[in-house]
Amino acid sequence: MQRELQTELSRLLEEAQHDVEQGKRENAYQASLKATRLAPDEPMAWYLRAQSAPSNEEHLICLSRAYSLDPLLKPARTELRSAVHRLLKQEPFLAYVHETEELYQVRSGLDLLINIPKNRAFEPPYLKKNPSLLKPAFTWLYLSLLALLLGGVGAVLFAPITAFQVLRIQSRPLYRADRVRLLVIMILSLLVWIVSIPISWLFLIRFFP
Amino acid sequence: MLIRFLYLSAIWFALSLLATLIVGARLRRSDPTLSLGWLAAVILAGNLIAIFTFGRIFEIIILSLIAFGFGGYWIMRLRDWNAAGQVTWSMTVLTTILFIIYAFMLTAFSPLNPISFVFALIFFFLEAITLVLALAHMHESLDVVCRTRWHRLVDKLEPVPGYQPMVSLHLPAYNEPVEVLEKTLTSLARLDYPNFEVLVVDNNTPSEQTWRPLEEICRRLGPNFHCLHLDQWPGYKSGALNFAVAQTDPSAEIIGIIDSDYEVEPDFLKELVPAFADSQVAFVQTPQDYSDYKGDLFSESTYRGYKYFFEVSMPARNERNAIIFAGTMGLIRKSVLEEIGGWDEWCITEDAEASLRILKRGYQSLYIKRSFGRGLMPFNFEGLKKQRFRWCFGGIQILKKHWESLMPWAHWVDPDNKLTLAQRFYYLVGGLGWFSDVFNLLFAFFLILGAVFNIFSSPVQVRPLTDTVLVIPAVFLLLHILRFLWVLRNRLRVSLGVAMATMYNFFSLGWAVTLACLQGLVQREGVFLRTPKSKSASRAWHAVHVTQWETTIALLCIAAGLLSYIINPNWRTLSLCFLLFWQGSLYLAAPIYSLMSLRREATLASQVSEQGRPVAEQWAARWVVALSMVLIAAFSLISFLPEPVALPDYTRFLPVDLSVSSVSPASPFSSLGGLNTSTPTATVTVHSANCREKPRGNGERLAILYAGDQVEITGRNEDLNNPWWYVTIPNSTESCWLWGMTATTNGPVDDLPILP
Repeated sequence: MQRELQTELSRLLEEAQHDVEQGKRENAYQASLKATRLAPDEPMAWYLRAQSAPSNEEHLICLSRAYSLDPLLKPARTELRSAVHRLLKQEPFLAYVHETEELYQVRSGLDLLINIPKNRAFEPPYLKKNPSLLKPAFTWLYLSLLALLLGGVGAVLFAPITAFQVLRIQSRPLYRADRVRLLVIMILSLLVWIVSIPISWLFLIRFFP
Repeated sequence: MLIRFLYLSAIWFALSLLATLIVGARLRRSDPTLSLGWLAAVILAGNLIAIFTFGRIFEIIILSLIAFGFGGYWIMRLRDWNAAGQVTWSMTVLTTILFIIYAFMLTAFSPLNPISFVFALIFFFLEAITLVLALAHMHESLDVVCRTRWHRLVDKLEPVPGYQPMVSLHLPAYNEPVEVLEKTLTSLARLDYPNFEVLVVDNNTPSEQTWRPLEEICRRLGPNFHCLHLDQWPGYKSGALNFAVAQTDPSAEIIGIIDSDYEVEPDFLKELVPAFADSQVAFVQTPQDYSDYKGDLFSESTYRGYKYFFEVSMPARNERNAIIFAGTMGLIRKSVLEEIGGWDEWCITEDAEASLRILKRGYQSLYIKRSFGRGLMPFNFEGLKKQRFRWCFGGIQILKKHWESLMPWAHWVDPDNKLTLAQRFYYLVGGLGWFSDVFNLLFAFFLILGAVFNIFSSPVQVRPLTDTVLVIPAVFLLLHILRFLWVLRNRLRVSLGVAMATMYNFFSLGWAVTLACLQGLVQREGVFLRTPKSKSASRAWHAVHVTQWETTIALLCIAAGLLSYIINPNWRTLSLCFLLFWQGSLYLAAPIYSLMSLRREATLASQVSEQGRPVAEQWAARWVVALSMVLIAAFSLISFLPEPVALPDYTRFLPVDLSVSSVSPASPFSSLGGLNTSTPTATVTVHSANCREKPRGNGERLAILYAGDQVEITGRNEDLNNPWWYVTIPNSTESCWLWGMTATTNGPVDDLPILP
C-alpha cells in the first residue's frame, strides 16, 4: 500500500514538474494538487503546486508550506522571499504569530498565515542561559570578593570554600572552556585569600588595639 | 617620604598638564630626545618648587630618578604621541599610583573602630576605581590630541573601479511623524549609487493612520523602496531589524541602518561602500550628526556632547580597531551579520552589542570621520534623559553578557575570541565608565553624611581629613576638569563657555545614568525610563518636576555644606563645603538644563523612541534609596562601637602628613629655618590623639586632642623620623607630648629645642 502511494506520488510529481517546464500550468496544478492531497508532508509537492498556483495567495501559502516542511529546499526559500515582497507591495501589514529557530510565522493583512525564513544563524539568547555546573564556584568567588570589601575576614573563609568547590566540580566531565574557567577561579580565589589575610588582620586589630 | 613623593609627583603632574593644555595640541612631532628633555625639564621645575618648600635634597634626587625612569618607559611605549602627552601621561599614572598607595595606608592604619574601617575600605575601593577610570579618560584625551601619527585614520576612501555591490538600507520606525520619515526617504531617493534598496520597517506603531502613509511614500519613490508594518512584533527594534534581514534582497552584500529622522547626503554609499572591497572589513561607521542645534545653549551643549563621542572616543578606538557600531549612518557586511546570528533582541543597544561580537571573530572595523547625514536631537531635557538612560542600560547589558570575553583570560576560555588587548580594554572601560556616575553619587552621599556628623559634632568618621586627603583629590579634580575642557575646546573647536556648558550637560545626566546602571544590574530585559508626570499645566513647572530627584540631591549637598561651615567654621569645613557645592552643582545642572530646554521644546516634537518595559523614575530610584538606607543604618552602627581610647600601635605605619603651607610655593622659606620667626603649631589630623607625659606610647595620658585642634609646639624629641611634639594643652598652662604621626605642623619645627 505504502509502495503504491509512493509510486503514485512520484508519478504525479514528475508529471507536474514536466508540465511546469512545458508551461502547461493548469495540468501542472491539477497534478500537484493531487500530490499534496496524497502526501501533505511532501515539500516538493507543495513547491510544484506553488509553481502553478492560479492566485498569488495560493502561491504564497504553498511556498510557505513547502519551506516549513523542508527549510533546506533552497528554491522555495528564494521564491518565498519574492512572493512575500509582492504581497507586501499589496498590503504591508504583517502580524507576529510565532517563531522557531528557522522561521517566523506571521499573519498577513489579507489574513494569510505565512512562514518566513530567518536568514541567519541562531545564537542562544542571553536571557535563556542554561544553568552552569560552575555556578557554585562563581557564587563563592563573588561572596569572597564581597567579603574582601567588607573587612576581609569572610574572604579568609570563603576563598578556600571557592577552591574546594573548584576541586569538587573538576572531578566531573567538563568542556575545555569550563576547565579553564575553573583554573581562573582557583587562581582568583587564591589571590583573594592572600589579599584577605592582611586586610582581615587590619580589621581584627580594630577589635583588639 | 611617601607623602613628599606624592606632593612632588602632583607638582610634576600639574606642571606637565598645564604645559600640555597650552602647547600639547600644537606640537606636531614626536622625538624621543625631545621627550626625554621635556621630561627632565618638568622634573627639574617640580624639584625647584620642592627644594624651596619641603627641602630634602637627597629624597628629591631619588624620587626624580624613579620618575625619570618611569617617564622614559612611557616615552618608549607611546612613540606616536608628542612629548607633552607622553610626560603628562607618565606623571598622571605616577601620581595616581602614589595616591592610591597613600589612600590605602591611611585607610589601613588610621585609628578607626571596626565599622569605620569597613566603610573606609569601601571608600578606598571606590576611590581607586574612580581614579583608574579617570586615568582611562586621560589616556583617551591625550591619545587624540597629542597623537602625531595616525595609523588607521581615513578621511576619504579611494573608489574601487567596478565594485558596486547591492546595499540594503534598513529604516526602522516606531510611531514616527510621517513628515520626518518623508524627508528621510526623499533624501535616500537622491543617493548617488546605482544598486540599493530601502526597507522601511515600521514596528508596533499603534495607530494605522501614522504608518499607512509610509506605504504611499514608498510606492511613490520607486520599486527599490519597500515598506512593511510589523504588528505585535517581539524584540523591539532588533526584532524588526532581524525581520528586515530576512526580507533583504538575497543579492545584497551590505546592510545600512538609517534612523527615521536622518537626512542623508547623496554620496553616502558612493563614499563608504569601497571600504567593503577588503573582505576583512565587517562594518564602517560615520559620525552621527544633527542639524537643529543652533539657537540655544541646551541644544548646542547637547550637540557638542554627542560630537565628543565621535571626535574623541571613536578616533581613539579606531586606532585599535575597537570602534562601536553605532547603528545609524553605519554600514555592515550582511554575511557577517548573519554569521553572528543577527541583532540580539534582548539588548536595547543592539548595534554596539553586535560590533563586539563581530570584533570577537577577528574582523576589521573602520571609522570615517566625515558626517554623511543629520538627524534630530531629543527635543527637551526629559527626552535627553531617557535617551541617555537607554544607552547606559544597554551598555550595562553588554557588560553583563560579555564581561568574560573582555577579561585577560578570555583567549584561554574561548580560543575563537580574537579580541586584542586594546579592544578588550576599550570595551571594558566603555562599560565600566558608566559607573562613574554611580560612584559620584556615592561620594556625594559620603560627603553629605560627613557634613551631617560634623554639624551634630558626632565622633563618627570614616577617614581622617588630613591635608593630603583634602589637597590631592582637589588637585586631581581640578586638573581633570581642565583636561576635559581642553579636549572639548581642541577637538570640537568651541569657546570656553560652550565647552563648560557641554561638560555640565554631561554632568546633568548623572542621575539618569546612575539609575540605568543600578537598573541594568538587577534587571535583564530592556526597560525605558518613565519620568514623573506633573499635574500642572505649566511647562516650566513640568521641566523642574522631571528633575525633582536631581534637584533634591543638589539642595541636600548645598545645605549640608553650608550648615557644616556655618556651625563649625574652619578651613576643613570650608573644604568640605566647597566639595559639597561642587557635587551639588553637578546635580543642579539637571533642572537648569531642563528649564533651558523649554525654548527648544516649543518648536520641535519628541524624537526619542522608547523600547522595553516602562520603569517609573520613582520606581527605579528605589535602588538608590535602599542603598542610602543601608549606608545610613550601617553608618549609625559606627557610633555604637567605641573609638580607640589610646593611640593604637599600628598607627605608627600611618604616613606622616605634610601641611598645606609646607608645600605651598607662596611661602618658600617656611621650612628653611631661622627666617620665619612665627611660633610653630600642630593640627591634629586623626579623630582623637592622646597627649602624653613622656614622648612614648606608654606614657601617661594627660589630655585628649581631637581632629582639627591646633596647639602651639614648644619643643620636640631628637628623632625626626619618629617625631613627638611638646605642645601646650589648649586652655591650660600645662604641656604634653603629641605623637607626630597624628598631626600636621605649621611653621619652623627644625629649630625647636630638643627636650629629653
